[in-house]
Amino acid sequence: MSEANPTQPESGADPVLLKRLDAAIGRLRNTSDKLKMRQQQPAIEQAERLLTSPGGVHACLARIVSMDEAGIFVGTDWNHPARLKPVLVRHTLESGDATALVLETLSELRFLAIAGGQYAHAEVSSEEAHHFLAQVLGLNLERLFGSQTEVARFQDPAWTEALAQLFRCLAEEIGYGRIFDAVISEIWRILAQRPIQTDRLKAMVAQLSLWSRESSNEQSPSGWGADRLVSALFGPTNECREDPGADAYEAKLSTLDEKALAQEAAGMARAMHDTGLVSAYHAVLLRHLVAFRTDLVPDCLGLSSTGRENYNSFAELTHALVDKAIHVETAQSIYGLSLLLERGILHLPPTAPALWRQIQLKLSPESAQRLIDSFGNTPEPEARLLAGVISILGQPLGVGQGNNPTCQAARAIAMWSYTDPDYLLQLVAWAARDNEIRMSFEGESISSGNLNAGLAKSGLVDVDPVSAILVPHLDRVYMEMGRLCAGREGDPHRWINPEMHGWWVGRQFNIVVDVPTGKLTDIEGFVQRFYAAFHPDHNGGQPLIHPSPAGIAVTDSAARFVGWHAIAIVRVSRDPSGEVRVYFFNPNNDSGQDWGDGIKVSTSGNGEFYGESSVPIADFTSRLYIFHSDPLEQTASQPVSSDEVEKVRSKIASSWGQDRL
Amino acid sequence: MTDYNPDKGYIALLGWSLSAIDAMEKFDRHYLIVAPSWAKEYAEAHDIPFLAWDFERLNEKSFEIAQTLKEMGIDVAVPLFEETVEWAGAINSVLLDNPRLLGQSMLLRDKSLMKRRAQLGGIRVGIFEEAHDRADVVRFLRRVNQTLLKLDGDTNDPIHFKAFDLAGCMGHRVIRTADDVDSIPDEDFPALMESHLDGWEFAAEAWIHDGKIRFLNISEYVRLGYSVFVPASPELEALRDKVEEEIKKLIKAFDIKFGFIHPEYFIANDDVMYFGEVAYRPPGFKVFELLERVYGFNAYQGMVMMFDPKTTEEEIEAFFPTPVKDADGHAGCFGVYPRNRVVSKLSIPEETENHPYFEWHELSEPMESKVAKRSAFGNHWGLVYFHGEDAETLRDLLKAQEKLDFYV
Repeated sequence: MSEANPTQPESGADPVLLKRLDAAIGRLRNTSDKLKMRQQQPAIEQAERLLTSPGGVHACLARIVSMDEAGIFVGTDWNHPARLKPVLVRHTLESGDATALVLETLSELRFLAIAGGQYAHAEVSSEEAHHFLAQVLGLNLERLFGSQTEVARFQDPAWTEALAQLFRCLAEEIGYGRIFDAVISEIWRILAQRPIQTDRLKAMVAQLSLWSRESSNEQSPSGWGADRLVSALFGPTNECREDPGADAYEAKLSTLDEKALAQEAAGMARAMHDTGLVSAYHAVLLRHLVAFRTDLVPDCLGLSSTGRENYNSFAELTHALVDKAIHVETAQSIYGLSLLLERGILHLPPTAPALWRQIQLKLSPESAQRLIDSFGNTPEPEARLLAGVISILGQPLGVGQGNNPTCQAARAIAMWSYTDPDYLLQLVAWAARDNEIRMSFEGESISSGNLNAGLAKSGLVDVDPVSAILVPHLDRVYMEMGRLCAGREGDPHRWINPEMHGWWVGRQFNIVVDVPTGKLTDIEGFVQRFYAAFHPDHNGGQPLIHPSPAGIAVTDSAARFVGWHAIAIVRVSRDPSGEVRVYFFNPNNDSGQDWGDGIKVSTSGNGEFYGESSVPIADFTSRLYIFHSDPLEQTASQPVSSDEVEKVRSKIASSWGQDRL
Repeated sequence: MTDYNPDKGYIALLGWSLSAIDAMEKFDRHYLIVAPSWAKEYAEAHDIPFLAWDFERLNEKSFEIAQTLKEMGIDVAVPLFEETVEWAGAINSVLLDNPRLLGQSMLLRDKSLMKRRAQLGGIRVGIFEEAHDRADVVRFLRRVNQTLLKLDGDTNDPIHFKAFDLAGCMGHRVIRTADDVDSIPDEDFPALMESHLDGWEFAAEAWIHDGKIRFLNISEYVRLGYSVFVPASPELEALRDKVEEEIKKLIKAFDIKFGFIHPEYFIANDDVMYFGEVAYRPPGFKVFELLERVYGFNAYQGMVMMFDPKTTEEEIEAFFPTPVKDADGHAGCFGVYPRNRVVSKLSIPEETENHPYFEWHELSEPMESKVAKRSAFGNHWGLVYFHGEDAETLRDLLKAQEKLDFYV
């Protein structure tokens, strides 16, 4: 099918557009390799016209082989299908860049042609193409069902339709049964990291539920775990199994006897802890119990003895938090509340009074507006923010940077919540009430109020309420600290990290890159110092006390350098198999990454707590480029063997360090 | 290109043209681009064989470049732009050991010498004269109109003013009044002046090898400097034999053994063909691209074959299609000039976009919002391409583009 058959009617596609595209493909094909770029853009533009017109997706599919062979992908990121990653597709489809959008769409059509056997491609087999598309579908399920995401709302309706058409084509090719399983396991994989922001996951589960109802009479999807997801969200207990609606459920509650109510409480808690998802019914029940049966509140939160003890000590505060913050719209924060009590942080003297302040806090008009823009009017912005605070304190490592270049700020919030919740609550109060935060940098006071926008130029996308309020300020302060370091030799994080995050950041700054040249420097010493600070066999078995900010060189699945990224080392210890692993917090939204060279970041199954990522320590060190340490803390330790150093060095050399040796 | 045929010539292309480079990349000849040093970086980045040379006026260095190319083993030089025509003549006179080639190229570069030579060859030309300053222009304008028995106060018939050595529309002005004369810049002198002939203006492209025409195309101008299409309409193609005869006269008058010429003609109301001018290089208005669209052959490759002394007869016969008969419809293009003085963005008119003959365009967003006033015909901002079956529809469509705004 290298040429479209002109006699065959092409499902209503405009013949004029077809002719233009065919002519453009012809010009592209006739252009020599060195000058392909000259004819790529015109061909891409014609493809866009066709894609966004009726019947366009099928017509492009019929031409995808000739487009690929003519060189439409040459010199672009899409040229090698084997190197493409399903997880990146979503971001491209949302980017709004017309060229990227066309190439991404055509790339999916190429996979489709390969999967369907119409195109024998040297790089990718039919099975691999199938697998790729199944993952793309799972990660972009809402496209298939045409549900309106924030992003889709800003997109040209013709493109929204084209993408819906594309995903229908993909689903037909892949088969609904296959995606069903892929979608389910994808949801479980992300839930295993217990993110605070679950809106997208909940939308996916909602689609799953509709879908399984619709397809129940065709093929029965195997759908392992689908029921648990759907029921956790829409019918976690006996009394709401039929998804009766919040009002009907509330009315029912007052008619239940003691035993039934206790079962409701336990059932809700079970579903929540099983999945990390909280049903809106859970909020209805919890409010009911706080009002009428406080003795069942611990059961409803699923608390252990630690949590129960905390609840009993701070019942009044807990009730006030529920009353103000927990509503049907903010039900997810019940999970945060449960974990907040389990962490025992209310016993830190400033925490409880700081939370009372938060309950009373009035927001500045700017802060209120920011929350309304992201989350709507119900509940009121104060309640929305309080719910966000509860989530952050309960799930420090559940915070994510969303679709924003603000990993530094997200990491800072996570570390403060983890180690210094009082300080975090103070920052939130300043930012929300005063629309300003102050930090000092080497004795100089920096106010976020006087500064211009930092890395996140426009509004933040897809973040929790605390981040929505705090990140713009942190981002500006971070940029300002960077500006104050301009002209200093070396990496500015040497000075910024301790000043920005806190006294507990180690004062010895270790970097393996020589900043002026970009070359690697003293790998041996770098590895020795890292192991001496963190590895239990080399630091006298001292567990890490505070989370430690660090910088990694992120590599893709082909081990190519992608960029610098901020993470926090949380623990270093032995996994169940006895291997020493670094457990760290990654502020990106999905920590399960493939760093290439066989290094796969694990998020569960290797001793991780929720929200942690982990890799074996040598693999981690091979991607590390900055860390902080405190030599005075360290005992004399035995040096790292030359074998181990060599192992790290070779993994650097074969990946991001390739051109830096 | 790494895999070339060692039995064919080693070609030097004079001037920087990506279309020509693209053609050579796909062709079987070893090639070298000789162009100004500003192109060096691009050439190196794209692995294009390159020799930097600044084509100023011919000077004593012309022998140096000829010698350099000869030592490199170059067989022939092919000019791509008006400015490189006499360089090609000078270089080829050394490479091919034929001193007359330089003189021939000088004739083809100087519009006045060209005209006289054509006249000597028995070719019909209009009234023409050389102008060295503005007074010459005023005198010529008055005398032409006197000849036409115009009275003072009648509207003048225009005259055409063409800087001696500028390509095509560059430096071509239509003069009707003394005010028009004042607007001519000093650097456009000396120039050729011609009387205006009402009639049908068109161009032809002839690929010549061994003194014979190997392919003849007639390009129909819809409006000079704005639009052209190929092959010409059936009405104009009806004159093909006559055109061919005229071109044979040119070949003889200029003693052209090989290469490529691009002459312009007028058919006056009395059905007599007048010679306008001729260029020894590719036409400026992307006629080569249009030919590729309808015939499928690469016109640059055809041109290089004409110059290459190692080209064989069989090769030529296999290369060119049969004119008109082998064409897939008609292809035309329109050069866009902004019509407003201030523009903010590119906006393809709906009438254009929705017409089934519209194919694509190479316009880009405006770099600056103020549009420089157009004095001579000057440079368009980019071309819009059309393709369709019917010549008359295409001609009307191209004509209609003149009234549309592509920049608003």
